[in-house]
Amino acid sequence: MNVPLHLAKEQDVRAMGLEPVPGPERPGKLLAGLTEVRDSMRSMSVMLETCVKCGNCMRQCHSFLGTGDYYNFPAARADLMRKLYRRHFTLSGRFMGRLAGAEDFDHDTIDRWATYFYQCNECRRCAVFCPFGVDTAEITIAARHILTSIGVVPKFMQAVAANLRRTGNNMGIPKPALVDSVEFLQDELKEETGREVPIPVDKQGSKILYVPSSADFFTNVDTIFGAAKLFHALGADWTISSSVLEAANFGLLFHWPAMREHNRRLKETARALGAEMVVQGECGHGWRAARLGSQWASGPIPFRLLHVLEYAAENLARLPLKRLEMRVALHDPCNYVRGGGIVEPPRRILRAIVEDLVEMTPNREENFCCGGGSGILMDEMMDVRMKLGRCKAEQIRALGRLDYLAAPCSICKAQLPHVFKHYGLGDVAVGGILDLLGKAIVL
Amino acid sequence: MRFFLGNVLPYLAWAVFLLGLAWRTVTWLTRPVPMSLTLLPGPADSSRRAALMALELLGFRSLWRGDRVLALTAWLMHLSLAVVLAGHVVGIATLGGQFCWFGADAATSAALSHWLGMTSGLLLAGLLALLGLRRLSIAELRRLSAPSDYLALGLLLAAAGSGIALRAACGTDELGNPSCTDLVQVRAYLASLLVLRPGEMPGQPFFVLHFTLVNLLLMYFPFSKLVHLTGGVVSRVLTLRPCPVYPTPAGRST
Repeated sequence: MNVPLHLAKEQDVRAMGLEPVPGPERPGKLLAGLTEVRDSMRSMSVMLETCVKCGNCMRQCHSFLGTGDYYNFPAARADLMRKLYRRHFTLSGRFMGRLAGAEDFDHDTIDRWATYFYQCNECRRCAVFCPFGVDTAEITIAARHILTSIGVVPKFMQAVAANLRRTGNNMGIPKPALVDSVEFLQDELKEETGREVPIPVDKQGSKILYVPSSADFFTNVDTIFGAAKLFHALGADWTISSSVLEAANFGLLFHWPAMREHNRRLKETARALGAEMVVQGECGHGWRAARLGSQWASGPIPFRLLHVLEYAAENLARLPLKRLEMRVALHDPCNYVRGGGIVEPPRRILRAIVEDLVEMTPNREENFCCGGGSGILMDEMMDVRMKLGRCKAEQIRALGRLDYLAAPCSICKAQLPHVFKHYGLGDVAVGGILDLLGKAIVL
Repeated sequence: MRFFLGNVLPYLAWAVFLLGLAWRTVTWLTRPVPMSLTLLPGPADSSRRAALMALELLGFRSLWRGDRVLALTAWLMHLSLAVVLAGHVVGIATLGGQFCWFGADAATSAALSHWLGMTSGLLLAGLLALLGLRRLSIAELRRLSAPSDYLALGLLLAAAGSGIALRAACGTDELGNPSCTDLVQVRAYLASLLVLRPGEMPGQPFFVLHFTLVNLLLMYFPFSKLVHLTGGVVSRVLTLRPCPVYPTPAGRST
């Protein structure tokens, strides 16, 4: 079958420290990976074995609703793994075979894994509706890591991981380029506000380490402007760091060693700076990796860890704000609500700074994913991405006229403009919450 | 054969059921949870966590959030199963006299017991059949279902059906007591099994059928998706666990 992804070449896989596995050896290695993950991750076995196939997740999954593809029905997606799991790891599967839902490898098994485990956005919405909390994102995460262990890695993920490893950020910005870029941004800020609004880099002894999304230095500059104005208005002692200029942590999405490495980079950088508080910027999955994964990845954490929206909401009363005459809707990023517990802070901020805040339906922990989640931002996947974004487009269309869609996550910001264009909603501006906050802060 | 079905199979079935289920559950619990998968926004404290757990287990809260018809069907099916199981325990132990505890006379209690048993049994069978039909009528669900999914449903349905047949075949006398067999004899037999000195199994054909089917169901239980009895709890706990707190409190390293 035809995998819609561009996969990384052998030499690129080697550069990640992995040995590519030749075709005939893949099934054996995949099983070894499955065994390893089964033994090291409780969720995988209990969730595969507990699912009663009631089908409640089917109509809750934007991936199934958008593509209509059977394998994008969460329980069916998990079944891609469950069939092998039953065949090799359960008594009933070994003795009863297909009668017990067990199946061994066939010609397409690995291609099907690569195709469909990269059409799940790991948004966890199915888990909200599952009677047992079975989280297909866990199965997808496990499957992607196993695929990586046999050298099956999307080119896109591999390239991001290579940048992250080399420079500490997804965009591959080295320190000299960062310093240039920051100077330019500071000039812009001065032009706009008439004041010096600093963006300190590697300032030793800072109380706060701010970890932005590296996309903020290219496509989402208003987000970093907002952060700079926020810290400046509060008189905070803060800095960004050239060694961890990235809230995102793509390792979570396909390669645990890379995730742990980046998470340790965060901890070490904060320690070296002497920071008491780490504030994470607008990135969804990166927030989940930091919030739920730091303890596992890096051991005890000596600093306070919070999200910039929590930080801003905590300090809202101290900010000199004006109200923006806009009709704004909030898109809850999956990894803020279901994966990271940030539900009310964005609302508190927006209510304080815009005239008209509207809620989409559903919202909060029932919100639909933008369709780009878990790093499905590959150009070659554009057709699929538009299908994954269909539920989101329908939610937005139902809101009528909007001036701005607040989507405080770099992946959402990258995906949603394409979705709106594709579905004829072109003139809705998409951006972060910090972007608006920056415009509302009176310096 | 009668000796095997009556004096060997019940012990075998319970051993397989209990040990199998314990083995499956303990296996899950011994595996580590590297990264927290708490489903947020989670409950704020342990009493709210317990309340949410109860609401999930007893009220099918998450299922209700999605497909309400399915939730109601599944909930009523489980409820009728619970009533049937509880009815077996108290109904057999008291020979239908359980409602005397609430002030009914013996005849009324026996009639009530009969009526409630029959109703919940029929409801259970009907809802199981309905869930089976649903599985067959949704194309994606039919494609996803393996024969083992129908086997679990079929065994439950057969056990319920044979129980209904047993009750119907017996009928009741004018006082409301079972007329053809002896509940007394059944009670004596079950008691003999319980004290590990098995007596002879009553020979009523529907009883033999019902009892054997239930034993087969028990033996199949740990190897089927019916393990969601404990798996559902283990899985749900994963999504309800408290999140890590930073800075890490002193003395906590994992």
